[in-house]
Formats: sequence, C-alpha cells, structure tokens
Amino acid sequence: MTKYLTLIFKNLLRSKRRNILTILSIAVSLFIFSVLVSLPTFANQMLADTTSSVRIICRTKMGLAYPLPVAYKPKIAAIPHVVAVAPLVIYGGIYHEVSDQFPSVATEAAQIDMWSDWGLTGVDEFKKIKTACLVAEGTMRRFNLHVGQQIQLRGTVYPFNVTLTIVGTIDKGPVPSFLIFRHDYFEEAAGSPGIAHEFWVRVDDSRVVPEVCAALDNQFANSSAETRSVSEAAAIGGILGRYRIFMKLAEFLGLVAVVAIGLVAANTAAMSIRERRSEIAVMRSIGFPSGVILSLLVGESMIVALSGGVIGCGVAFGLFKVFALNADALGPFVSLHVPPFVLAETLAVAALIGLFSAYVPARAAAKRSIVETLRLVD
Amino acid sequence: MNATDDIITEESSAVTLDHVTRTYKRDEFEVRALDDVTLDIPRKSFVAIMGPSGSGKTTLLNLVTGIDHATSGRVAVGGEEISTMNEREIAAWRARHIGLVFQFYNLIPVLTAFENVELPLLLTHLSKADRKTHVESALKAVGLADRMGHYPRQLSGGQEQRVAIGRAIVTDPTILVADEPTGDLDAKSAEEILILLTQLKTQFDKTIVMVTHDPRSERFVDTVYRLDKGVFIGAEKGGASTKATAALQISA
Repeated sequence: MTKYLTLIFKNLLRSKRRNILTILSIAVSLFIFSVLVSLPTFANQMLADTTSSVRIICRTKMGLAYPLPVAYKPKIAAIPHVVAVAPLVIYGGIYHEVSDQFPSVATEAAQIDMWSDWGLTGVDEFKKIKTACLVAEGTMRRFNLHVGQQIQLRGTVYPFNVTLTIVGTIDKGPVPSFLIFRHDYFEEAAGSPGIAHEFWVRVDDSRVVPEVCAALDNQFANSSAETRSVSEAAAIGGILGRYRIFMKLAEFLGLVAVVAIGLVAANTAAMSIRERRSEIAVMRSIGFPSGVILSLLVGESMIVALSGGVIGCGVAFGLFKVFALNADALGPFVSLHVPPFVLAETLAVAALIGLFSAYVPARAAAKRSIVETLRLVD
Repeated sequence: MNATDDIITEESSAVTLDHVTRTYKRDEFEVRALDDVTLDIPRKSFVAIMGPSGSGKTTLLNLVTGIDHATSGRVAVGGEEISTMNEREIAAWRARHIGLVFQFYNLIPVLTAFENVELPLLLTHLSKADRKTHVESALKAVGLADRMGHYPRQLSGGQEQRVAIGRAIVTDPTILVADEPTGDLDAKSAEEILILLTQLKTQFDKTIVMVTHDPRSERFVDTVYRLDKGVFIGAEKGGASTKATAALQISA
C-alpha cells in the first residue's frame, strides 16, 4: 500500500482549499463531539470509581448548616463493621478575595488516612504539625501555591482566621479543589464548640454499606440531631444527578454534530470523486482493479477525516488542560478532561466518517462501466 | 480493397475476433455496434482500424482491450480468450498485456510525467528502483527523458501523448492499443506520434492496433481494416506494408 501513498497525497493536494475546509469542519464537529461526550463519560467514571467505596457520609437530616455533636464519634465507632470515623468541619474560609473561595474543611489528623486513596502527600507532617494543611492539586495550580508555603484563610462562617502551612497535596479524588486542615486547630481557634458537619465512616466491606447506613441513622433516631447517612457513591451520584439531563443533551448534540458533518463530508467526497471519474476510468482501463480504486478513494477520505479528528481531539484535550488551571466554577467537573477512551472513540468516529462518506460514491465509481464513463467524459 | 491472401493461424495472431457481435440498448432501441465481425490481426504488425463515425471502431477496440464484452462471439488476444474472463481476471490480464493510448491523453494532472508512466507499474511487484529504471527507459523511448518532472499542464499536446504512449509501453505489453492517438494533435505532432508508433513496432516488435480517422495514418501502418455500420468490410495493405500482413474472413 505504501507505493500508492504518493498517489493518495497528490490527489489530496489537488484541491487544497476544499480539503482544508473539510478537515477544519470535521475538526470542529469532532471537537464538539469529544467535549460533549466527555461530560457523561467523566461523570460515569467518577461514579464507577466510587462504586466499591467503603466510605459512608453521615450528616444531620436538617442539612449542612446544622452541625452534629462531635460526641457522636464513639457511638458511630461502636457500630459493627465500622473501622474508622473522621469528623469533618466545614470552615468555608476565603483566600485573599471573596472570588478566591474554595472548600476548606478540618478533620482529625489521626483520621487523615480515611482518604488515603486520594493521593495524599505530606501525611506524616500533617499528623505532626498542628497548623498543617493539605491542598488539592487544582487549588495549588490555581493560586500557584507550593509545599512549605504559609497561607491565611479568612473566616466567613466563623469569626476567626486560620494561618496554615501547606505540608502536602491531594492529587486525585472526586473534589479536586479544596483544602483540609486539622480539627484540633479548628477547635482551639473556635473555642472548642465540639461540632462536626459530617462524619466520614469507613466500614470493613463495601457490601455492608447499606446496612451500616441504616444502623447509623437508627442509632440517632429521635435524638436532637437525627442523621441521614449515604454511601460515598450515592453522595457523588446525587451531585452528578443534577447534571444528568445536561449530560443526555450533550450526548445527543454530540451525535447530531457527527451526523451533520458526516453528510457534509459525504457530499464533498461525492463531488471530488465525480470530478475524477474519467481518471478513475482510465486507471481501471490500464488494469487497476476495482478494489484498489475503492481503497485509494476511501483512503483519501479517511486521511481527511482522521486529520480533522486529530485536530479536534487535540484542541479539546488542550482546552480542558487550560480550563483545569482556573475553573472552580465547573464544580465537580473542575478536573474534567477528555478521557483516553473518548479520544479513541472520537478518532474511530473520524475514521467512520471517512469510510462511510466516501464508500458509496467510490464504490459506484469503481464499478461503473469504463466504456460508459469514457464516452460521457470525452 | 486489396484483401490479403495469406491465411494466418490463431497462434500467429495477436487478435482474433470470431463472429463477434455487440449490441447496446439505447432507451427502447437496440443499436448493433458490431455485427458478426470476424478478423485476425497478426503479431508484430501495426494496423489501423478505419471507418466513418458510428462504424464500430471504438467498440472493436474496447472488446480487444477487455473493457467491454461481446454480446456474442469470441475474442482472443495473444492466444487467450478474454470473453470468458471475470472482472478481476480481465483487469489483471489488461495490466499485463495491454497498453492503452487515448485520444485526449488522459494523464493524471496531479502526477508528473514520471509518475504517470509509473502508474501501471504500481500494479506489479517491482521494487521502487526497478520501477524507476523501467520508467526512465519508457520515457527515453518516447523522447521525453528530459521532461520526467514535468506535469501534464507543462507539456504540449504532442508531449502529453508521448507520455501516454510511455505509460502504455512501460509494462512491455503484448499489444499497444491506441484510440485516435492523433485526433487531438496538429499535423506535425500527429506525424511525430505516428513515427514514434512505427519505431516502437520495428524496434520493440510491438503489435499496435490503432483506431483512426486520419487518412495520413495509412502510409505508416501495415494493414488497414475497414468497418462500416458495424460490419467489417475488409483489409488492405498500408503504406508500411511490403507484403500481405493480414488474412481476413469477411463476415457473411
């Protein structure tokens, strides 16, 4: 096939403007496709990552504004299958300006291993230093922070500021932009209120999660602070559920973009092949089999479509990289990226556009009577 | 008409048409383009098929090259019967045995003279270096060794036709078939092409079958076969003939 490459590339160069425009239109549509398809894929991946989670989030029934007494901790720890309990306080401070806000929480230093699967670094220092904090990668990048740096957060909910030293980072996990510091520092600064907005509970087996959730809520039923416990997967699913309709719409629009550009590419391929029908007839008359002609024409079309696909994927990939630097507004999607699967899928779609747009006109040209074609053209 | 008296056998024939008829459907009408034609064209001869428009010249050529099929009758080229070959077989056979030259040259405009001539060789298993050697020889044979890198738009009509002839001979085919090769050329260029074809016949022992309207061609060929309204009327010696070169069996 390599000996035909010169022929293929020379044919591609015969109408540069048309091919460049076709490549760009395919690139734009596949950029849209890869971006739109990335959203549900990313969300599904987030959910899949937490399906086997052994963590439970226990909050008050009345909502996050109402804290639970930290004294619940030993009662929770006593429930069968519970292996660790971490109280979490939502501090809600701001860094520099109001617009520089990101989630900041406090937890017990000894329980930081609760989130060991989130790629924590500097855990040892966190356990040693009372003012230590760990900062998620997204926040580190956004404010150009570095390990060892001292930062101050101004309290908005609580009337005090905290001065923290970054001792490590949080490299992955479902919340890519936040900060976590020590609960004992919070208690000291707040005057020991003895509260927790959430308890994160780890159990010994993911299969007992529903059972432990029920036991937790039963434990505190009819108390002054009743609880509602959900699995980590359900909590994330709840957040993502708000975006579900947009994700379906995104998938549909991605498909529409592909179909639309497929029709445009088919029209372009048909025009291109029609213009060359006499050449095709001549090539067949000098012995080129129909199969080779078909392969050459479809090959040209696939090169055009794949070029568009590569450009579209590249732009989408690069754009998300830029967004990821400073896009807390994307909420749980702040670490949105084009997954390798979607990149492969987009390139496969590009190849299919190339294949199907050219196949019908190319096959017709490769099969048409040589005599009739030469007579019509002459 | 000076019909020749020598009877040639199929073994010595480059082309044999045996009671060949070709009909076409044009809407509700049936057009009989060739009507029971029987003729033999000897090997290593340069022959012209002549006749008025609509006489069936090009149809005959299409049957000889296998790009069209006879409605009835038998077509054999180089001793091989091609009427029974399927599309794949006929394409492979054509690539090996037939060199085609068209009236309007039909070069690929985006390819250089070298690449146009190389085109049929892409169907072979020759290495790139061997292809280069063959192409250079072919272009040298047609007098365009210094125009290899030129695109068709950079060549004159006569030069384009020479490139087309180079493309036709590069695979060393059994038969060179030319459809009105001088039809789109001025008198000087036309004569040059006819001289080139004559040289190819004498130097390389090629069998050349040429369809033409051009009466000047008669002095270059060995035999002229005449058709009228799809019927083969006979053969006569051309100007290049020193002896009878064809036997014919006029169809009934």
